Amino acid sequence: MTSSPLPIVLDRLILLLMLLALAGTLTAAMVLQVAFGEIPCPLCLLQRVAMFGCCFGLIQQLHAGESAHGLEWGLERGSERGSGLALVFALLLLVISGRQTLLDIVPRPGHAYVGSAVLGLHMPVWSVVIALALLLGFAVRFALFGAPRTAGGAGGAVLHRWVRGLEFYVVLLCALNFVAVILQCGLDQCHTSGYRLL
Amino acid sequence: MMAGIFAALTAAFLLNVAGWGRLAVFCLLACLALSVGLFLWEIYSPEYGFRMPWLQVERERTVLPIWRG
Repeated sequence: MTSSPLPIVLDRLILLLMLLALAGTLTAAMVLQVAFGEIPCPLCLLQRVAMFGCCFGLIQQLHAGESAHGLEWGLERGSERGSGLALVFALLLLVISGRQTLLDIVPRPGHAYVGSAVLGLHMPVWSVVIALALLLGFAVRFALFGAPRTAGGAGGAVLHRWVRGLEFYVVLLCALNFVAVILQCGLDQCHTSGYRLL
Repeated sequence: MMAGIFAALTAAFLLNVAGWGRLAVFCLLACLALSVGLFLWEIYSPEYGFRMPWLQVERERTVLPIWRG
């Protein structure tokens, strides 16, 4: 697409901010698990999966057109596919977190919100907020900049370095979560009572 | 099952970094399908099915006085 670079740079900045927010949330979840001993429930882990899926879609969009990925998929298609994937996983996050919020909204024996509250809201409720913020972010992006498009090298080296750095950080975080899940669940069902392999 | 989901997710990210775009998306879609399956299995109760009977939104019946003008 041949348009002025400013909207494309702003578009990429919005995507980068969304990726940064998701990476921050996933880091906070990992810190709560490792440092404060808050073992995640199965639905909490599925919410992490949905957030990682959004990250994957955002990374695909940020890379489309600037690397071999974009050329392999077709310059426009790489970005559109990334948008679609991110939207699907944002919806998945909303459905899972909405159901978990409703599951524990009435306190009764065996059912209470897992983990500690942040600003009065528990993690599943925060996940609903995050999913809605993601969907709103995509809607605003489409409203302001139109259909998803490729970067075409816009944004310069600084933005590119940020994208690369964040991508590697998210991959590392995902691998850490994989190890944590193996330690917590083994190859069986997950429980919040403790780590199966420790 | 959860380990399989995270394995597919990690594989998707690693394949994407390595430049295997198509395979990465395939792994991510496999992860999505497994996640949806596990989610449905987790929330299904043999007693209630997918219903949530603890949510009661029925209005309490009140008897209103009949207006006689």
